[in-house]
Amino acid sequence: MPRSETFPRVQRHAQIGSKPSIDSISAIKCEFDFQLKTANTRMRAGCGLTYTCAVAAFAMWQSDVMMKLIGCRTLDSARLQRLAFVFFSILSRILAEQEVENLSGLSPNPDKDIFVVRENGTTCLMAEFAVRFLVPYDVLALNGIDLITEQASIALPRGAEIEGKCGNAEAEVQISWINDAYVFRLFFVKEVHDSSKGNDIWKISKVQLLYDTSEKTHFINAYNPGKHTASSHRLSALVTPAGQSYECQAPQTLTLISTDHQKGVTVSLSDIQIQPFDITSDFTFSPAYKCITDQREQLEELLPLILGIVLGLLIVITLSVYHLHLKMTAHQPQLPRDRSLYKNILQF
Amino acid sequence: MATLIRSKISNKLSNAATSVSNKSQAKVSGMFARMGFQAATDEEGLGFVACDDLDYDHRQGLQMDILKTDEVGGEGGGEIGGDGAAEGDSHYQRDSTGPPPSSSKDGGVCDELAAQDKPQITAWEAGWNVTNAIQGMFVLGLPYAILHGGYLGLFLIIFAAVVCCYTGKILIACLYEENEDGELVRVRDSYVDIANACCAPRFPALGGHVVNVAQIIELVMTCILYVVVSGNLMYNSFPTLPVSQKSWAIIATAALLPCAFLKNLKAVSKFSLLCTMAHFVINVLVIAYCLSRARDWAWDKVKFYIDVKKFPISIGIIVFSYTSQIFLPSLEGNMQKPSEFHCMMNWTHIAACILKGLFALVAYLTWADATKEVITDNLPSTIRAVVNLFLVAKALLSYPLPFFAAVEVLEKSLFQDGGRAIFPDCYRGDGRLKAWGLSLRCGLVVFTLLMAVFVPHFALLMGLTGSLTGAGLCFLLPSLFHLKLLWRKLLWHHVFFDVAIFVIGGICSISGFIHSMEGLVEAYKYNLHD
Repeated sequence: MPRSETFPRVQRHAQIGSKPSIDSISAIKCEFDFQLKTANTRMRAGCGLTYTCAVAAFAMWQSDVMMKLIGCRTLDSARLQRLAFVFFSILSRILAEQEVENLSGLSPNPDKDIFVVRENGTTCLMAEFAVRFLVPYDVLALNGIDLITEQASIALPRGAEIEGKCGNAEAEVQISWINDAYVFRLFFVKEVHDSSKGNDIWKISKVQLLYDTSEKTHFINAYNPGKHTASSHRLSALVTPAGQSYECQAPQTLTLISTDHQKGVTVSLSDIQIQPFDITSDFTFSPAYKCITDQREQLEELLPLILGIVLGLLIVITLSVYHLHLKMTAHQPQLPRDRSLYKNILQF
Repeated sequence: MATLIRSKISNKLSNAATSVSNKSQAKVSGMFARMGFQAATDEEGLGFVACDDLDYDHRQGLQMDILKTDEVGGEGGGEIGGDGAAEGDSHYQRDSTGPPPSSSKDGGVCDELAAQDKPQITAWEAGWNVTNAIQGMFVLGLPYAILHGGYLGLFLIIFAAVVCCYTGKILIACLYEENEDGELVRVRDSYVDIANACCAPRFPALGGHVVNVAQIIELVMTCILYVVVSGNLMYNSFPTLPVSQKSWAIIATAALLPCAFLKNLKAVSKFSLLCTMAHFVINVLVIAYCLSRARDWAWDKVKFYIDVKKFPISIGIIVFSYTSQIFLPSLEGNMQKPSEFHCMMNWTHIAACILKGLFALVAYLTWADATKEVITDNLPSTIRAVVNLFLVAKALLSYPLPFFAAVEVLEKSLFQDGGRAIFPDCYRGDGRLKAWGLSLRCGLVVFTLLMAVFVPHFALLMGLTGSLTGAGLCFLLPSLFHLKLLWRKLLWHHVFFDVAIFVIGGICSISGFIHSMEGLVEAYKYNLHD
């Protein structure tokens, strides 16, 4: 196994900053079989890593309980703890790689990705969305004098690095890829209006995108390449009642002003489910608060059914009223309108 | 007891007396009828129509007899007798106004009931119906046709009006035959009868079936189109409401449900009158707005050449907007004075031609190259909202005519008593609709709704069927039938016109078919890509 698999290249690790959860779990030595996934050697940092650690911690806690139940020998020593941790991280990364792959395979949207920030052994911020950036940049025209504005369409690749900070009233998540050539930051803030009435809400207060126009895959022949920052001004989006996650299928668009000659960068988020505060259990979203566009779409889809049922009832009522009316007013004998049937009534 | 027996005997005696008098009257009438025939051959005394009158008396007398013996009370017998006489009389199509009032005992009652049963429409009402058919929703696409066709488009509007007026008249001419006296008598009743008469020797029913199918397809597609259009217009008028196009179509159908109760053409003519008024208001609004911008008219933009790729679609829009031939046989049959038919056709087509031409030209001159496919997209939003509402009203008011015609065609072909058709009659003896007949009509309304909601790209599909059935029923079949049935009486220029119309109609039909197929395939590919 190459060294990179055991010691990840990325130094920043959500768990390194926070208190390791290993202290509370005694190291366990148990034997079990597993199949090494040798075919997949791709490093999945960031997303995979946080998920890996989460799964590792969870797996260790679970196996702790299980082993205690079946009575494995337990060894208390720091060295063994570290070895066990490494051992489990390998195992869980392999499992988590599979899990992350499966996760992406489950979603029908290829751009959709999940970003998790963990602290203290639990998830404190979860965000799931598909995002597309439209970044304008300058290109030298063919005459060598004029500047033409081109647009680069950037999507978030898989395996981006995630960092995050959670707090009681503020939270942020930072996603970076291609060696920090692009950094996307979301800042959330919770507002407490009246704690007794429960009018608390949380919302996005700032969105930032750092991009480097010297990066060749998206920016072709940029003029004066360099790093730029695009930020939002006085943003208040995705307003949700506290304790709930925000869910929206419809695309939402934000415009950020860039330091590159005040150009407008368009951020389009779709298939969103975000919860930055008050996550009660690991990897579980609280009850979702649907955005207004989705609610309208639901109503739009429900309305034809209701109207169809009303129309059907109307028809049935009309027919039965007509039938009764005929029955009431019919006291004359029915004579056929066709003369050929007169023979039926000739009785003499 | 004794009084009962006496009353019974006296009833029987009076019945016998009346029956004897009726029978003798019938015999006398019959004799006169026969004499009338012979009189016609001897002198020029009684024409065929007068013989018909006498024969009618004869049959009326016989029927009175039958009914009097059946029914003790006289009142019911008289009414129903009159009713039955009026119905049975339909086989004796005469040019005069219904059963002559002085012919029978209960003549007054019969007349009244015949009028109630199938009231005749005036020439004005027939005119409203024809206007409803020829000035349809497609008038909004005419400025776009001028954009791509220039002066040729204008010429085509006028030419199509003339041709369709002519084919309408020759279609009605096929209903009549000359008798021995040289007078024209209406021997056929409907388009189906004409088709059957043309294919008579070898395939007595094939022509009728083909025409039936074509008529039903055309009429039902027109109804569905009105539902689609009203749903679309309402959706575009109120985009802020959470009501989708499907919901608006369902609401429109709920408003159209009373059409299932339509009984005769007089009621339909009232709707057509309102529809024509709504159309007139739309025309006035748009033309007035265009006149207010008369300073900016681009007279030099009207082209002499044609845009070859886009013009064939415009040809389709212009030519197939004058299709009223489906309704003409039943309209003419219900007119009080069928002699006014030609005058009515002329005036309605002239009015349609002038209004359409003026509308298309003026609208094109105002927006020139920016003219959109549907002219309401060019209007400023306030006028557009008002015009949209009137268009919705027009679409809803236009629905009864093709719906009633479709119901008539279906009832005549599928629901007749006496084993003439697969299903029993929809009407009871006293002329009222049976309950299940009403449910079938409601079913037809719901069917148009379901097709409007679930069939995608309906306008393209309609273009496809319209170029086949519409062109067939309006250009190809009338000229064909005219040539076949009245061959001996046609002058050389009539033959020339008929053949020319047949050829031109064929070309329009084929080109329309090809373009609609192309459009449908492209739309399907675009959907698949999405």
